[in-house]
Amino acid sequence: MSKDLPTEDLLIRMQRDLKRTQKKKPEEVRWGMVIDIAKCIGCHACTVACVAENKLPPGVVYRVVLEEEVGQYPAVRRRFVPRPCVHCQNPPCTKVCPVTATYKTEQGAVIVRYERCIGCRYCLVACPYAARTSDFREWYTANTPELEGRILGRQGAAKGYELHPAAEYGQKWPERNGGSPVGNARKCHFCLHRLQVGMLPACVTSCVGRATIFGDRTDPNSLVFEMLGSPRIFRLKEELGTQPSVYYLK
Amino acid sequence: MKNDRYFKVLVVLAVIGLVLGSFGVIKTLLYGKHATDLGSYVPWGLWVAVYLFFLGLTAGAFLITILTYVFRVKIFAPIGPLSAFTVLVAIVCEVIIISFDLGHFARAYRFLINPGWYSMIFWMVVFTNAMIVIYALECYFLLRKDLVQWSKEEGRPGQWLYRFLSFGKTEFTEEDEIADHRRVRTLSILSLPVGLIFYGLNGAIFAILLNRPLWNGALTPLLFIVTALLSGGALITLLTYLFRIDDALVHYLGHVVRFLLVVFLFLQFVQFFVGYRTALPITRASLDIIAFGPYWWVFWVVHLLLGSAIPLYLLAAHHTSAKAVAWACFLIVITFIAVRLNFVIPDQAVYKLEGLEATFYHHRLRTTEYFPNLTEWLVSLWVFSLGMLAFLLGSRWLPVIAAGKGEEAHV
Repeated sequence: MSKDLPTEDLLIRMQRDLKRTQKKKPEEVRWGMVIDIAKCIGCHACTVACVAENKLPPGVVYRVVLEEEVGQYPAVRRRFVPRPCVHCQNPPCTKVCPVTATYKTEQGAVIVRYERCIGCRYCLVACPYAARTSDFREWYTANTPELEGRILGRQGAAKGYELHPAAEYGQKWPERNGGSPVGNARKCHFCLHRLQVGMLPACVTSCVGRATIFGDRTDPNSLVFEMLGSPRIFRLKEELGTQPSVYYLK
Repeated sequence: MKNDRYFKVLVVLAVIGLVLGSFGVIKTLLYGKHATDLGSYVPWGLWVAVYLFFLGLTAGAFLITILTYVFRVKIFAPIGPLSAFTVLVAIVCEVIIISFDLGHFARAYRFLINPGWYSMIFWMVVFTNAMIVIYALECYFLLRKDLVQWSKEEGRPGQWLYRFLSFGKTEFTEEDEIADHRRVRTLSILSLPVGLIFYGLNGAIFAILLNRPLWNGALTPLLFIVTALLSGGALITLLTYLFRIDDALVHYLGHVVRFLLVVFLFLQFVQFFVGYRTALPITRASLDIIAFGPYWWVFWVVHLLLGSAIPLYLLAAHHTSAKAVAWACFLIVITFIAVRLNFVIPDQAVYKLEGLEATFYHHRLRTTEYFPNLTEWLVSLWVFSLGMLAFLLGSRWLPVIAAGKGEEAHV
């Protein structure tokens, strides 16, 4: 019996690609994502997985699934376009930051230094993809009664989930109050904290249609590199010259 | 001020505004941006509009000081010190309101240690500080002679203040006066490039943004300079009338304001004409929000009727009446917040990606639902009241009017 499976799940292939990438020098890696919209079924699992992974508060979302109607009745179709931060190679958002809190890493991911961000929200206004959100200190448990004892009240409920921010950027953030990431601009960071430990981004692993492909786009053996050669490839708002690292397949 | 009763009424109004507004200020300090109705798709709202409003108010005074002390136009000399003081008060209000808008004001020191050289906001901070320093010094050197004199007048109320502001100087010689006017002229010359960059730069903050149809373009910085000169010019004209400095000067300034109003309306017409004729969907959508959106009356009634048509009629048909000119300028100034709101919000109020409105429901992720909440209005009221009180007390206790008398001789 052969050791190889007759067909291989794309996740296994991407995981293998990621292991190979970890052996490379960081400056030689360029992260890229390809989203096959023909495979996206609009289940929003990636949105939910991202919210759960990063413990995003109400009103903060890194990855949404846009729903577009194409054509006119009766020749009408619906298509779904997941939109994470597209991690522009020529990002308009980093140039406008007055305190260099947001920048493009050498691997091509656009990230935010929370402790430096002053919350002017200029980057939110500058992003042509509306991919940034501001943390307005909202709570899912805002209307949960303040009860102690046997019944789990607001404090208990909040402590179980949203009081402690996720380890974004591989850092431990203080309890949610007035400090970061509250008041900051927040955005998709390609789940850098997961990549650091050899895990694929949450939106990739949660995609039931395997529509989201992720990896090092400079690695000729990677799946993402393979996909980039497709004639179906396109990028959002290409005419703006922002050169996103997130590509789409028609 | 023509009448002491008006002064007292205005001081009382300012104090009431400060007390009421302090509720909004306290709420903002406690809860941050949570206390506002802002969201991620409309991240800039009323406070940015008020910031731009104050920016405009500084410009007219800037124009006057430039004309007086750089180009030596003697007719404006009596309002030189008042103008410099107005710039100073308006610019401080501008800084205060925009500080409230920051998510982490305590990190403002980051501007110094992590400067973003490519950011327009970074340069805005640099040039705002430059303007504050220039106008604080200019104001001081214009007032110093009178401050020294007032510090020596026995029985004058607030003598300790004048002694303090004189920094121990008891004699003010003719040489001192010449030296101070030389300094004022040098500072005014310096303020010319600094001020033009400052106003243009504030326009550039918006103009450089991709995918912002109403903001993006070379017209925006120019529009900013014209709108600033218009609203600021109207304010100075109004103040010249209120402080009964010179009615002839009010007429002269009225002509300037009328010209600026016509230029501004023409530029606005160009913006609408090009926008509608280009017919890009997002451009049309933004313009439709201004003209036919839920707040259409802000554009048609507040801006065009009250802030443009009536003032234009008064400035054209009754330009010989100082009172009519003052009324026209008053209308321009108070309705200018509508112009600023219609600049800041409609562009953001259009979803920049198709389908974005249906993706994730939360009131912070909507565009059409933004309307400044009570906290935002109260904070704005607090800053307006603070500015008004500072201006009223300054004009009463500092020699900003007295220093202008006979100023022509030094220009």
